[in-house]
Amino acid sequence: MTEIKHGDIVLQARGITKRYPGLVANDHIDFEIRAGEIHAILGENGAGKTTLMSILFGLTRPDEGEIFVFGKKVNFRSPLDAIDLGIGMVHQTRKLISAHSVLENILLGHPRAGAILDLKKTAEEVKALCDVYGYKIDLNTKVWHLSEGEKQMVEILKALYRGAKILIMDEPTSALAPPETKKLLETIQLMTKNELAIVPFITHKLPIVLSVSQRVTVLRRGKIVARLNTADATEQSLAMEMVGREVIFNLERPDVKIGKPVLQVENVSAYDDKEYWATRNISFEVREGEIFGIAGVSGNGQQPLAEVLAGLRKASTGRVLFRGKDVTNLSSLERWKRGIGYIPSEQRAVGSIGEFSLVENLLMSYYYDDLFVKWGMIDAKKVRQLTQELIEEYGVATPSPDVKARNLSGGNLQKMILARVFSRKPRLIIANLPTQGLDVGAMEFVQNKLLEEKKAGAGILLISEDLDEVMALSDRIAPMYEGEFMDILPGGSAQRETVGALMAGHKEKAVGA
Amino acid sequence: MKLAGYTLKLEKKASFTGLEAIVISVVAILVALFLVGFIFLQAGVDPAKGYQAMFTYAFANPFGAPLTINRAVFILLSTFAFIVPIRAGLWNIGMSGQLYFGALTAFGVAYVFGARTSGANLSGAIVIPLMIVGGAIGGGLAGAIPGVLKGKFNTNEIVVTMMLNFIGYWVVAHMIKEGGPFMGSGGEGEGFKLPASIQAPIVSGVSVLTLVIALLLAVLLYVLFTRTRLGYQIRAFGLSPAAARYAGISPFQIALITFVIGGALAGLAGYHYFGTTPNLNQIPKNYGDFGDMAFYGIICGLISQGNPLAAIPLALLFGGLTSGGRYVQGKLHLSYGIDYALLGVLMITLVAFQFFFRYRVVFKKES
Repeated sequence: MTEIKHGDIVLQARGITKRYPGLVANDHIDFEIRAGEIHAILGENGAGKTTLMSILFGLTRPDEGEIFVFGKKVNFRSPLDAIDLGIGMVHQTRKLISAHSVLENILLGHPRAGAILDLKKTAEEVKALCDVYGYKIDLNTKVWHLSEGEKQMVEILKALYRGAKILIMDEPTSALAPPETKKLLETIQLMTKNELAIVPFITHKLPIVLSVSQRVTVLRRGKIVARLNTADATEQSLAMEMVGREVIFNLERPDVKIGKPVLQVENVSAYDDKEYWATRNISFEVREGEIFGIAGVSGNGQQPLAEVLAGLRKASTGRVLFRGKDVTNLSSLERWKRGIGYIPSEQRAVGSIGEFSLVENLLMSYYYDDLFVKWGMIDAKKVRQLTQELIEEYGVATPSPDVKARNLSGGNLQKMILARVFSRKPRLIIANLPTQGLDVGAMEFVQNKLLEEKKAGAGILLISEDLDEVMALSDRIAPMYEGEFMDILPGGSAQRETVGALMAGHKEKAVGA
Repeated sequence: MKLAGYTLKLEKKASFTGLEAIVISVVAILVALFLVGFIFLQAGVDPAKGYQAMFTYAFANPFGAPLTINRAVFILLSTFAFIVPIRAGLWNIGMSGQLYFGALTAFGVAYVFGARTSGANLSGAIVIPLMIVGGAIGGGLAGAIPGVLKGKFNTNEIVVTMMLNFIGYWVVAHMIKEGGPFMGSGGEGEGFKLPASIQAPIVSGVSVLTLVIALLLAVLLYVLFTRTRLGYQIRAFGLSPAAARYAGISPFQIALITFVIGGALAGLAGYHYFGTTPNLNQIPKNYGDFGDMAFYGIICGLISQGNPLAAIPLALLFGGLTSGGRYVQGKLHLSYGIDYALLGVLMITLVAFQFFFRYRVVFKKES
């Protein structure tokens, strides 16, 4: 391979087209990636990012089009072909073996990892690689000890050690706390100095795109709608290209009178599925008309806490009061009936049933209601009518209420879930990552709906990883780290840096600044 | 793949219609018959004649047709016993155990009324319905065991139901063999015979009462799954246990209810075959063979995709193949096991053809 110079085209796609039944996922995509640049690919969910990424990494074959790597036409049969040509991929969900050490994970899949492992030599080489990027990690640590940011770095090292010259990153900052994000961005900027091409695929963290990339390609509905130098773009212009219309970033926070407490949580602790302590001695209350925000990176006990409150997980200690009555031992069904509405973080695995029609999905919150079920027989007409009304009210894009839920896009599905939960007029709403994975337009919609419910006097517990979202919506903010609230701060006056540092586990103020 | 200027491609299907499902199933059956034709040829029999003999006996013969229908009812009830839990994503492999227990409780009712010793002037109008209910309760209780274990401790229902099959088998042996309380007067290792007064009504060799019950149950189950709250809860749990739990549906209740209903339906199958079929009216020596026949319920249930109405023609087909297959084997001097070979091949093709529920083959002319 000849020496790569800064600005050389390392990867080129020409006319990439991929069709799925009833959908063109990629429609004649042309672009090129140059050595030493960070080239962000931006697009909403369903814009065709995942398909394009899979094609570039050899997981999917395009129906039409050509790919050139270092000027040579290639035809990937599997990711192995892509890896051999110097394409590395850092997945959104980590693909590491947690019981193995960092070094073993890096070596896994490497052609040199034959019958006999030369761990010593590998260790030296990986250490050298770490030094280049000023990265410190104990190569013998087991992966499960690492934080999300460290795990991601292991994946990057793994790709680099394998000889990657082009690094594709899927939503690289989605699971990271703000200080870790900062560190990642510094590292990848350093990498570009060594003529590596970095291609992050991003849904909605627009400020990140603006801060590090040199060029941006925006996808919408399978087509490239914009190719920009980042210097010429603004957050607003990028959002507009992605969504196809103007997006307003400032939410109007309504002035609502805060009323009586709807939820009181006293000293609640819970185990997670692996029987580890997941939340410890949590106490707080949520009042009518209040949005109480829990800010934190996923995996710090938010999910078990939400499940305890929804009745899906047993509290090991403490009690939960809803409108003054002890509900600690009530079933989830009883809690639904009393007016606790839960929006789970996994829309497809928990919040909906993909094989069910929208009507049947709506029934998830109505099958226990005697107005819709008489003598055990479901009043199908009534449920269908309600579904139709809610589809209109929430602007769900679907040809009919009989469409299966799995055919809806993420944003539309989340609208449908909100419609189902909110139509029960809950007094308490537990919203667990309600805008996760949504595109800008749908995100705006969900946030406004939460504010509407607040206005209507519901108490809302908002669990979010998105610091901007928590800051914008919450009346009070609790940064959560390793199962505990680090503090409870007033929403209006809390400093972004303070909350960011607290959710990363730093008790002292502002880190890294 | 390329074929004479055409490219052959597989495309994933988003969904399939009822008509497609029927066409695919019928084609699968024809392919199976074609394949088994080679066995006929190998035995020196013209396949067309062989099949003609088989189907004539199974569906148009005064001896064969009633046998086919009685077996079809048995297979249909076994299918229902499988379908109800499978719609909740739970595998009931214990139809044979449940039908043994159902048969024992049904005969237990007759026993209590003294049917073993005299029973000449028992009232059929009272005892027969009680035997039916008894059969359902016995099967239902046998089903409750895996139901509770699954719901409370999340034990593997396949293992539990399978093991209960063996337990059921030996409990029946204990009851009907030498010295057992249900031992028949002949002392030949079979159960006591029901007196004529409490034998179920037979029309042209067909047990009409249980036939009507089975057909009614098909409609009832269909309504259960499509219209009722319970059916909704079962389906929701079957498609996504996590989502169902989130919606407030109790996994314990679903496991228990579906297994009790499934067990009760298998119990009815036990009563139907041993308690009503002419020439039987007792638990026979070879009761294990009928326990094995209940396994056709699994394949019927899978092919019908859990649809109780679609299961009716399938049960009839399988019933016909078991009776007709055995007949041609004797009549045409075929080697032993032609009926099993046919059923086996049929199952494999039917399962293989399920591929076409999800994919379609497309021919495209090379450009």
